[in-house]
Amino acid sequence: MTKMINGSSKILLITAGLLVAVLFFQLPFSEGAMKFRYITSIYADDKGLGLKQPEGVACNGESLLIVADSGNGRLLRYSYKDGATELGTVEIKVDQLSYPIKTEINSTGEIYIFDRKQRSIVRLSPAGELRGYLQPLGLPSPSEYVPRSFTMDRNDNIYILDILSERVLILDPAGRYVHHIKFPQEYGFFSDVAVDFKGTVLIVDVVDGMVFSAGKNSAIFSPLTGSLKEYVRFPASLTTDDRGRIYLVDRNGGSIIILGQDGSFLSRQSGMGWKEGSLNYPGQMCINKKGEIFVADTNNSRVQVFLMVE
Amino acid sequence: MKVKGINLGYVTLFSLWFMSFLVYGAPVHPENEFKLKLGVKGQICLKCHETFKETLNRRFVHPLLKKGECTGCHAPHTSSHKSLLNADRAKLCYNCHKEVLPENAGSSHEVVVEGNCKTCHDSHGSNNKFILLKSGNELCFDCHKDMSADVQNVRFKHKSLENGKGCLNCHDPHSSAKSSFLLKSHAPSLCLKCHQTNKASFARKHMNYPVTTADCTSCHNPHGSNNRGIIFDVAHAAVTEGRCTECHRKPTTLETKKKTTQLCRECHQDMVDQTFNKNRVHWPLVDKVGCVNCHDPHATKEKKLLKGSIVSVCGQCHADTVQLQEWSIKNPKNERICEPVKKGNCIACHSPHAADNVLLISQHSVTNDLCSRCHEWETHSTHPIGAKIVDNRNKNLTVECLTCHQACGTSNNPAMLTFSTTHELCIQCHVERIK
Repeated sequence: MTKMINGSSKILLITAGLLVAVLFFQLPFSEGAMKFRYITSIYADDKGLGLKQPEGVACNGESLLIVADSGNGRLLRYSYKDGATELGTVEIKVDQLSYPIKTEINSTGEIYIFDRKQRSIVRLSPAGELRGYLQPLGLPSPSEYVPRSFTMDRNDNIYILDILSERVLILDPAGRYVHHIKFPQEYGFFSDVAVDFKGTVLIVDVVDGMVFSAGKNSAIFSPLTGSLKEYVRFPASLTTDDRGRIYLVDRNGGSIIILGQDGSFLSRQSGMGWKEGSLNYPGQMCINKKGEIFVADTNNSRVQVFLMVE
Repeated sequence: MKVKGINLGYVTLFSLWFMSFLVYGAPVHPENEFKLKLGVKGQICLKCHETFKETLNRRFVHPLLKKGECTGCHAPHTSSHKSLLNADRAKLCYNCHKEVLPENAGSSHEVVVEGNCKTCHDSHGSNNKFILLKSGNELCFDCHKDMSADVQNVRFKHKSLENGKGCLNCHDPHSSAKSSFLLKSHAPSLCLKCHQTNKASFARKHMNYPVTTADCTSCHNPHGSNNRGIIFDVAHAAVTEGRCTECHRKPTTLETKKKTTQLCRECHQDMVDQTFNKNRVHWPLVDKVGCVNCHDPHATKEKKLLKGSIVSVCGQCHADTVQLQEWSIKNPKNERICEPVKKGNCIACHSPHAADNVLLISQHSVTNDLCSRCHEWETHSTHPIGAKIVDNRNKNLTVECLTCHQACGTSNNPAMLTFSTTHELCIQCHVERIK
């Protein structure tokens, strides 16, 4: 039989086989193949009191998960392991926190929270005791600032999105002014700030659907992407992962948009809805070292957990 | 045959051509592609189209018709276009009149862009200049009826609207190279063509502030108003009462005493305090622009000194939501559309300054406090609704109007439902019905 197949036929067969293999294997691993796999949802604390329109989530590399339970004016400290929260959830209620909407954890376990009502950043010890407000020290003129959001890098430096004086303030871990990066000339409205693993500072324009970037020592932001309105309705929040990918949380569209380091569109995940796995006006999201993704599913009054599958 | 080197054949051919030239005139020229006899061009058409004899007697006749060049626009035998036109009606005029719609114009008249020249012009002839259908402002007001009513009913009229070219004193009817609203140039340069700023009365009326570089239309309505000095009907009391120094520094500069919301707070203390006491302040209120993101500090046409209609102001940032509202209005499946959505009245449900609730919804319960103003939700259907009815998908949620309806509108769904069919909507909760 093999003798019947001459040389050119062999080449044809091999090529066809290769084509089938490429088609079969390549499609699932193309850029659009990144997928969120739904793991679980967190609805309440240990006592059974339900979350109420939570807007913030922060996770560290281990199992710690902090939820800004905005509607209840409190933080919840969970231990998340193996696809579930463990017993022993801690409720953190501090008078200085009326309406927490964003939270971060630094390398020492300190919790930083942005309170929307007071428009200030509050510092708590790892146990949840008040350590005071974050007051930037040594700000250059203009000294007035209004934080819209904040983030922290791996070295615990703090980045404040100042919408009054149109800049991102960079502070050292003690809150001392280090540098600032000015907003670009033309923009709609900046709603969130993130820093990637290389130290690149990113801000998102929620009105024009654009991401702007700047090196840590840059003077001004420049566009990283064009308008992403084709993919996103109202990108109110952003974060990055260990590989520098950018995640935009589409508040009105109920989805997460994933961009490459260069700002190119990679994927759109989840969608508007009530069922588990769907999102309804999501707020902050965070990613831990295991690649588990936590999203504050605000209008569904829960936190949803996904795993990135590639 | 040759006579002393001359080819007689060529001589004969030349002679025939020369004789035909004498008899029939010049060879067929592209302009006379129909080989019409000399002097008969328009006359042939008028033999049948007798009414055009009257048109030719009008004061202003299209130059082509005047020359009898009917074929400049019409094909005499056949055409793919209505009225035997040489090209599509929307493009025909631009074959000669390209200049009326320059590229990269600052603004263009919609009818011009669409090629609807006949909305304003009679393509053959008229007793009005530029072969216009009507003369003066009457022509503009045929379409701009609201403007017509506004202009005629105001107490204080802008003289330039009534004198000379009327609307065309300020507007170019086709397009404007650099300005919006078809204006011949931007304010203040356009206004300063008539208004002399070096007069003492001008300085006195403007409290000696250096307004010659400011945008006049930030206070004055160029189409007239019921306020003296044609200041827009809705004016900040400080402007109409000449209390400029309440906000601005000395008349040497237009700089304000304080910035953003802090300046407005000087007078509107209670309102700002109430706003800042809510959980969620609308972010633009506390940015660099503050109140002026949505309000005009001097005078406007809109209530509450808004920069435009509510939906247009909200749409500056929330274009995606306003898009849903627009789709819902146009959607034929939406027989009974929610009135605030229909009118673009976003503040019927949202508190534009601040609120304690997500999405700046003004009341705690959407069902009880907002929808119930118009809808008797308890009798709306047999479906249980209300704060005591827990959503079976999520124990943190209750069944509310927004469980099934999208309050701001939907792309293509009936009754502003979240899903396109009732079945699809119901099976979101009633999973047992899927099969």
